[in-house]
Amino acid sequence: MSSTVLLTLWIGALATLLALPFAVLVAVPLARSRGPFVTVLQTLVWLPLVLPPAVTGYLLLSVLGPRRPLGSALKALGIGIAFDRMGAVVAAAVVGFPLLVMFIVLALRAIDPRLAVVSRSCGRGPVETFLRVTLPLAWPGILAGAVLAFARALGEFGATIVLAGLIPGETDTISLRIYDLLAQPGRESEILGLVLASVAIAILCVAVAQALDRRHRRRLEVEP
Amino acid sequence: MILEVEADVRRRGGFRLQAAFRAEAGRLAVVGRSGGGKTTLLDVIAGIERGRVVLDGVDLSPLPLHRRSIGYVMQDAPLFPHLSVRGNLAYGPRAQRVEEVAARLGIVHLLDRMPRNLSGGERRRAVLARALASRPRLLLLDEPFAGLDEAARRDAMSLLTGLGDVPTVLVSHSPAEVLGLADRAVRLEGGRVVAEGPSASLLRAGEREIDNAFVGEVTGPSRVRVGDVDLSVTLSEGASGAVRLACYAHEILLARERPAAISARNVFPATVRDLVPAGGDVLATLEAPPFRVLVTADAVRDLALAPGARVVAIVKSTSIACLGPL
Repeated sequence: MSSTVLLTLWIGALATLLALPFAVLVAVPLARSRGPFVTVLQTLVWLPLVLPPAVTGYLLLSVLGPRRPLGSALKALGIGIAFDRMGAVVAAAVVGFPLLVMFIVLALRAIDPRLAVVSRSCGRGPVETFLRVTLPLAWPGILAGAVLAFARALGEFGATIVLAGLIPGETDTISLRIYDLLAQPGRESEILGLVLASVAIAILCVAVAQALDRRHRRRLEVEP
Repeated sequence: MILEVEADVRRRGGFRLQAAFRAEAGRLAVVGRSGGGKTTLLDVIAGIERGRVVLDGVDLSPLPLHRRSIGYVMQDAPLFPHLSVRGNLAYGPRAQRVEEVAARLGIVHLLDRMPRNLSGGERRRAVLARALASRPRLLLLDEPFAGLDEAARRDAMSLLTGLGDVPTVLVSHSPAEVLGLADRAVRLEGGRVVAEGPSASLLRAGEREIDNAFVGEVTGPSRVRVGDVDLSVTLSEGASGAVRLACYAHEILLARERPAAISARNVFPATVRDLVPAGGDVLATLEAPPFRVLVTADAVRDLALAPGARVVAIVKSTSIACLGPL
């Protein structure tokens, strides 16, 4: 049981780390700009949230499958995605991506936009302004979002089972393991253990995210 | 500085700024009612909005905001909340002599504090210090004294007059600020420049009447000569040469005869030039020096004030503010 929990945490953490830089990159224009480009971007970002996870999994499989160009190229580099542990990571990252982006957008929007203007009128360019002002002010909020996205990624089921399959010891995260155990008689105690572990992890994540969010607001001098 | 601006900016909500002017001034004021485009004009000069901006022959138009070396102090500008006051002052890549700038603005003791631990007035000083520390070639101030009480406003004005020769564009709706701080002004109305000229002439009659702004020559400690009158004025140490002075119209008294003994240090004979109603009161203008004096209608009757009447003007020396050298 503990190996299942550890595997789940490992996959969730890797998925969040993988998604984080892309999420920040996408969140910046979404937080500040408007226009047709932003609308298209927003729609693409939201797709995994509204698509049935199994459909997301199928789409991922059709791009990253072993006989597809991208899938075979990654395979040649030693990174197997389909029916592999990395598949579970990719599925969790993609399905959790919209949530992560939304949290980061909120963290960025909480920052007074005039600070960027002040920074630039002091002589710092846009990239420097982002690194010296936006990011330092947003990071507790970004981290809070990452913790919640991580918690969400732990529960990924639909896309994972399509893309990564159910391979014991490789891709059977808590959700997949429970599904598997339900089909076997007399495994109720093991299921109960996984359920309790999930509840504990979820509560911990929400508590940490709240603490980070408070810190974020204090840093920005906004009232909680 | 010689500043040339040509701007055609459309803002959401249908507002359009179509401004073109050329002004030669040490300090230029932008005056006009709110919604007239004053802040938009500063945004153009700063480089946030598009427009042609030429400063002392250098075309700044192709430069982005951060390459213009323009210190933009927005209305209620925020400090960087994650940096100490020192960190805020030293933020710009050209920032220098942070301690010296802090000393000039009286915030050395605040350098290691975080912005959330500052009062409103302290923040304002820190914001101004941050803009100055980056050694701007032009300083833009948007309503720098809005929301300050009278004492804090005078304090802040004397601070600004002491900033030295940084060319400044000042947006203000306060006649006293415009007269005290700027030598020339541009008036914006409905997004268009309707006038450009010496700041006193640019204020509307109603705005001009309220206060007295004048220039005098320091003749000794606490003595300033204005026209034929030698005034007692509280001067800062080392003041000499020509200075700008200001005095509220309602702080000058008129009497028929010279009082026998009085605490006010300035008592001089004058002639009433004209009388105009101002609200429920009357604004009397004197001859040489042409002080404006706000009196009640009752006082006009009791003193028999009329054009040509001889009176004695009485001004406390503490009622005359010295705004610094000309």
